[in-house]
Amino acid sequence: MTMKTNKRVARLLSISLLAAATFLTACSKHGGKGGSLSGAARDTTLVIGMLGDADYLNPVIGASLTSSEITGLIYPGLLQGEFDTKTGLVNYLALEKRLRPSSGNPDERSPKSALAKTWTMSIDHRSITYILRSDAKWADGQPITSRDFKFAYKLYGNPVIASPRQQSLAELVGADKGQVDFDKAIETPDDTTLVFHFYKPVPEHLALAHTSLTPLPEHLWKNVKPEEFRESKLNQQPVGAGPYRLAEWNKQQTLTLSSSATSNLPKPGNIRRIIYRVIPDYTVRLAQLQTGDVDVVENVKPEDFPAVQKANPNVDLKTIGLRVYDYVGWQNIDGDYYNQTGKMRPHPLFGDASVRRALTLAIDRQSIIDGYLGQYGVLAKTDISPSLKWAYDDSIKPYGYDQAQAVRLLEQAGWLPGPDGIRQKNGKRFSFVLCTNAGNARRNYACTIIQQNLREIGIECKIEQQETNVFFQNLQERKLGAWMAGWAIGLEIDPLDVWGSDLKKSRFNFPGYINPRIDQLCELAKSKMKTEDARPYWVEYQKILHEEQPITFLYWIRETHGFNKRIQGAKLNISGAFYNIDDWTLRPSVTH
Amino acid sequence: MLRYILKRLLIAVPLIFGVLTLTFFIIRLAPGDPAAFFIQPGISPNVAEQIRQQYGLNDPLPVQYVKWLGNVLHGDFGRSFSRAQQPVVEVIAEALPVTMTIAILTLIANFVFGIIIGVISAVRQNSFLDRFLTVTALFFYSMPEFWFALMMIILFALKWPLFPVSGLNEVGAESYGAFGFVMDRIWHLALPVTVLSINGSAGIARYVRGSMLEVIRQDYIRTARAKGLSERVVIMKHALRNALLPVVTLMGSSLPFIFSGALFIEVIFAFPGMGRVTVEAIFARDYPLIIADTFVSGIMIVFGNLLADVLYAVVDPRIKL
Repeated sequence: MTMKTNKRVARLLSISLLAAATFLTACSKHGGKGGSLSGAARDTTLVIGMLGDADYLNPVIGASLTSSEITGLIYPGLLQGEFDTKTGLVNYLALEKRLRPSSGNPDERSPKSALAKTWTMSIDHRSITYILRSDAKWADGQPITSRDFKFAYKLYGNPVIASPRQQSLAELVGADKGQVDFDKAIETPDDTTLVFHFYKPVPEHLALAHTSLTPLPEHLWKNVKPEEFRESKLNQQPVGAGPYRLAEWNKQQTLTLSSSATSNLPKPGNIRRIIYRVIPDYTVRLAQLQTGDVDVVENVKPEDFPAVQKANPNVDLKTIGLRVYDYVGWQNIDGDYYNQTGKMRPHPLFGDASVRRALTLAIDRQSIIDGYLGQYGVLAKTDISPSLKWAYDDSIKPYGYDQAQAVRLLEQAGWLPGPDGIRQKNGKRFSFVLCTNAGNARRNYACTIIQQNLREIGIECKIEQQETNVFFQNLQERKLGAWMAGWAIGLEIDPLDVWGSDLKKSRFNFPGYINPRIDQLCELAKSKMKTEDARPYWVEYQKILHEEQPITFLYWIRETHGFNKRIQGAKLNISGAFYNIDDWTLRPSVTH
Repeated sequence: MLRYILKRLLIAVPLIFGVLTLTFFIIRLAPGDPAAFFIQPGISPNVAEQIRQQYGLNDPLPVQYVKWLGNVLHGDFGRSFSRAQQPVVEVIAEALPVTMTIAILTLIANFVFGIIIGVISAVRQNSFLDRFLTVTALFFYSMPEFWFALMMIILFALKWPLFPVSGLNEVGAESYGAFGFVMDRIWHLALPVTVLSINGSAGIARYVRGSMLEVIRQDYIRTARAKGLSERVVIMKHALRNALLPVVTLMGSSLPFIFSGALFIEVIFAFPGMGRVTVEAIFARDYPLIIADTFVSGIMIVFGNLLADVLYAVVDPRIKL
């Protein structure tokens, strides 16, 4: 009788197996290496894997990097920005004029995407006049005029809309009194003339950067109330003039762009379709790069390179410049005392520059790089990136790993070994908590090495991981004594937010580093009408930061992106992985 | 019975309301700032303040609560902070069907496989097959789902590319026609549902085995055998029916569990479902969306428990509601 049961079970099992088998065969025809799109469609479609969806496809309020990248392909720009890898300077190009002469930069492109034909800066540097090209049209056929710019700038400046780009309006007439006077600040004498007026003299490169925000088509947006601006359906159906237009947007899944056949800014994109696919999990993004389902994945971690290339030799890894660094922050001032009284006194542990130097000497930064980043890490000296060659001071020698020197400095500062092996000064033990944000393997690795290094010279360091939001809030409230974090630098050097002595204004001076000379140098550099002329100030700036070590600069990270080798013509530099995406082509797959 | 159900539903109203109120205050008192994204160098310090003003976060907490209460009573859960001001109800309406599909498929797979494995182990107690199934079930039961999911992806999507790595549908699946589209969807659901149900059915198999072993020793089973009934009828009709009583109640209470399990699965397989919505909302401190998510899972739990109790009364005539 048990036989019977067995039979039945066996039958059940075999049925389910059969079902599974049919299922597999039915499906495996889709599978296989090389992605799932069939030949012809695949040859005209680029798939980019991304961490999160775009927020607003609107240049005024789009906040995430993904949004900016996609908006940049849909909307036209007044000027064409260009990062010169030879000098590290940002150049601005109009159709018939350029800020700086060509330096033979290999990434140069013809400035056909610029809406401006040319510009003139007034002699007193208080106004800039653009002449726009007259053949530019929005995707719906309406001409692009200077009024579209003025209209957009009013939106950028509207506090109800809360544009993250409103900082660019800071020099316009009226901004010094708290409210930009748009009628005086921006003039549009005719359709192709656009004039900006500043309340003070502004260096040309800054004027160009700040007056070249993306325009919006006035005829479509003029009836949208500011309060309803973020909710407007127009954000889902952007009308631009760039090489691509939005074809389809399945929220949180895929966003499809199609080449805009009518675009002359600069031209319709070469690749017919670009699909952005939301894949939140990093491992899965990587897996899809390997299967060929996705052509581009940004920020591949160095530890995954060998596996990726072994699994799919068709994947290429491309690095961009050095833009991101990690550091260990030391609270220079006594944070609790400052929070309670608003007054400053040196931090009991890290208030002394020689102690901070000792900490830097005691940390084996090179072995963190060797152990984790390999050739994708570069020892950091200050926050001026080696990629910004015009300002970078090559003559500074980075601190080596020298525990003996570190001990000497600590003992000079009065930190002597205590009975429990931990250094002490006036009865206070050199013991602190090193905080970092949870979920970053690289920082975890670095923290562990730092803990061990410091232990060896008699300093106790406990590691604590905090959820990112909590960590950031504690940082802003100066509740952390020591922490590990990182910065991504801008392409224009403007570190006053990070090092300025007025802690109320310099919101990102988390360590509370105070040095009036740094403020002076930043102001002096800003007042130079030509960027390159500020080099001596930045050289002095780097010397001071290197000497005083307000934080321990650890390493620059060479950001690396994974590309399928069928993509041709992709040029990457520090300004982004996709800046010439409309020039890319796809190598046709071999037909059998 | 109807009265009982109505009574339970009425009790649930203040319960869920209480949960929402609690959530409202807890998330606002927790550290973190919905406008934190706008606090970075190069962005005017005014932006974060303007954003908070837009979200109504500058009002005192009691005022915010009263405003929120008024809106919720009108059925308006507000607009999401982190998802481009999309109405929260819309976000949920897009995400819920995805998660429901996974949950229902998983539930079915859980019980089908769990019962089959459990019955086999019980009938062949202490045999090699039983030991093998027990060990295997325990092995899968104790495995973390997210890890298991990644292993499955490595095996069945990378090493032997039989299944897709992620997504709900292939890019361009709309052109496959209705049947092709559904097949494509099922093909995409195969791995995640397998991961979720292997774990779940392992647990259910243990339940079924235990309950089955108890029933098999009962007098009426011996009577049934003595009557000369075939073993198949004894096991399937007399034993299994009684053994399933406690298992059936699991169905209701495992609903919320499957929901929380779907959380990892959705992030890993890039499904735009409730799990992913919730996780992202929490990280972004998207208050309206967090509250709406709590509301949905609260309803799920209340409904699941109610279902368990009702099912119990349905299958066991000794229980009167």
